[in-house]
Amino acid sequence: MRRRTALQTLAAFPVLALGQEPVVPPRPVARAVEETPKIESTVADSVTAPVARFFSAHQYTALQRLCDVILPAIGETPGALAAHAPEFLDFLLSRSTAERQKLYRDGLDRFAAQADTAAALAPLRLPWTYDDPPGPYDRFLRAAKDDILTATVNSREWIEVVSRRNRGAGGTGMYWFPVDQQ
Amino acid sequence: MSANHDVLIIGSGASGGMVAHTLTRKGIKCLMLDAGPPVDYTRDRALKHVYELPYRGFGRPGRFPHVTQANEFNANLWADERQNPYTFDAADPYYWVRVRLIGGKTLVWGRASWRLSDFEFACKDHDGFGDNWPIRYKDLAPFYDSVEPLFRVAGRKEGLAQIPDGIFIPDDSSDTESVKRFIAAAKAKSIPTTKSRHATGQLASSANLLLPDALETGNLTIVPNAVVREITTDRNTGLANGVNFLDRRTGRELHATARVLVVGASTLESTRLLLNSKIANSSGVLGHYLFDQIYVKDVVQAVVPEARGGKGSRKLMGGGGYIPRFRNLQTREKRFLRGYAYDFGSGGTPHPRYFPLYGEALQKELASATNTSFSMTTMGEVLPRFENHVRIDPEVRDAWGIPALHIRHRYTDNEHEMAKDSMNVAEELCHDAGFELLEKHARMVPPGESIHELGTCRMGVDKKTSVLNQWNQSHDVKNLFVVDGSSFVTGGSQNPTLTILALSMRSAEYMAEQMRLSAI
Repeated sequence: MRRRTALQTLAAFPVLALGQEPVVPPRPVARAVEETPKIESTVADSVTAPVARFFSAHQYTALQRLCDVILPAIGETPGALAAHAPEFLDFLLSRSTAERQKLYRDGLDRFAAQADTAAALAPLRLPWTYDDPPGPYDRFLRAAKDDILTATVNSREWIEVVSRRNRGAGGTGMYWFPVDQQ
Repeated sequence: MSANHDVLIIGSGASGGMVAHTLTRKGIKCLMLDAGPPVDYTRDRALKHVYELPYRGFGRPGRFPHVTQANEFNANLWADERQNPYTFDAADPYYWVRVRLIGGKTLVWGRASWRLSDFEFACKDHDGFGDNWPIRYKDLAPFYDSVEPLFRVAGRKEGLAQIPDGIFIPDDSSDTESVKRFIAAAKAKSIPTTKSRHATGQLASSANLLLPDALETGNLTIVPNAVVREITTDRNTGLANGVNFLDRRTGRELHATARVLVVGASTLESTRLLLNSKIANSSGVLGHYLFDQIYVKDVVQAVVPEARGGKGSRKLMGGGGYIPRFRNLQTREKRFLRGYAYDFGSGGTPHPRYFPLYGEALQKELASATNTSFSMTTMGEVLPRFENHVRIDPEVRDAWGIPALHIRHRYTDNEHEMAKDSMNVAEELCHDAGFELLEKHARMVPPGESIHELGTCRMGVDKKTSVLNQWNQSHDVKNLFVVDGSSFVTGGSQNPTLTILALSMRSAEYMAEQMRLSAI
């Protein structure tokens, strides 16, 4: 609308013949120009491709396979792959503690070494308890299940589909920034 | 240029806000310092999609290792852990959760508002452990009566001695079928239940309920971003005469003076300030008798079977309530002293972690379990013990060069036995109500995580075993008052904010009278 108003303002100027001295009467500046613009933007993930740099190619392939098993696409609801969960987790782990990084790297290596996916995920079919899982691989699987689910349900792809089905399905919150330096 | 103020208040949360609210109405000029900035509700927040946040809702890893309440939306409300370090022994982790903003933790509190009773104030008379408070319920009751309407507390009167009734906005709401079944199961075991009691309104904070009224009188001046380093004293009289503080952003040093000094910087920050100032500790107990409340979050997670498959209607699911302390009210009934309370809630979907599934099977199960959840959380009394304490760590300083705290808080068998008992009772109640149990446990959150840290500057009759008298006034320095949770002698299982508000109002009334009599 504002663009149209601006064009109409321009069109209102008389067309000048060559050589004629331009006589432009002073006019008020178009209001649209005076308004502080609010520039619309988008999130990078939806239009650009992140560069995976934390996991090795081997580990990253295993992470993609794990993501697809933990949360596949179901009907029109996107799965972890469509939600770019592997790309995001590669970034998140690059910023995580050394302990967490080791848990993931070792866990993915071990997962990758097992061709039988169901057997590799057997620990996830044991009843959940508050006790720490017995070994690092079981701990990794538990952490990865949580992370893959969260990375997916918090993605733009997932939220757009789910909130079409169920208005107010979530995914929004109040972001606070009272502190001027972090 | 320094202006003259009657009273200098450090901290703008529940206790500092209440003292300002009480004193300024009487015409007393107050200067308030707070370590943080004000929150502008128009400018300082914005509705966002979680996918717009740079860490997709996970938050920056490692930013808040000890603040489990922090998420990427609210991260900027919590005090930064690197700027504000503290230490503990690796074997005894302590989760110290702080807010440095005008309004303090009342900007984010859970609002549960329960009165303490003489089971707490006269606890030693009841079971022989620890110390009584220097006051009894009747001394504080009139102040609870004033605080509840101010904070618009809703609740239901029950006539239970362990949670005395107050001045409530009556909660006449009906219960859903699942909650009715649970209440019946509790009643059959003679366990009382009631509606939650909580402050209502869009915001229920010092920032909207206390400070604006105090400012309106023209008698309150607030200086934000003032990180207080030490309280200064007059060498001749030994009285407090002001504070040295630093600007949070620049580190610039400033000094403020006043006739009376009120410390309400939060339980551990107040004690840290007194320790760093080397005052008010002739008893040697400053920093000691640290306690909080045990929390067993989701001590049971159950589902209401009739709600499965999308049948969790509004008639069946939703709502909740509270079970007040019911153990050891008569005699020493159990293997532990004192007691615990529960919050219980119906509705919502259990967390995916409870289901040993993945892939499409998990999604189907979650869909079937939508709005089937019934869960309970235990909140239990922690016995105040001398050995649980804080002291200054000479090796560590915060971003402003102020020596940091070392915190030592360890739970004992009493707390572990209590947590186990609460797990067993919760399981029985869910079973009797016909709910399916997904998981139960008795793992307490680490000390501190409940954000109910109390004690370390306790009040008492005997100046050899306490720091403050019954008016929150230092035994040693007559014009020094410490008005926050650090003054507690015991805490019961009730959320402490309502009592902090009542105590600080009572203290301020006394302060005003003493100033009128020129006694301070």
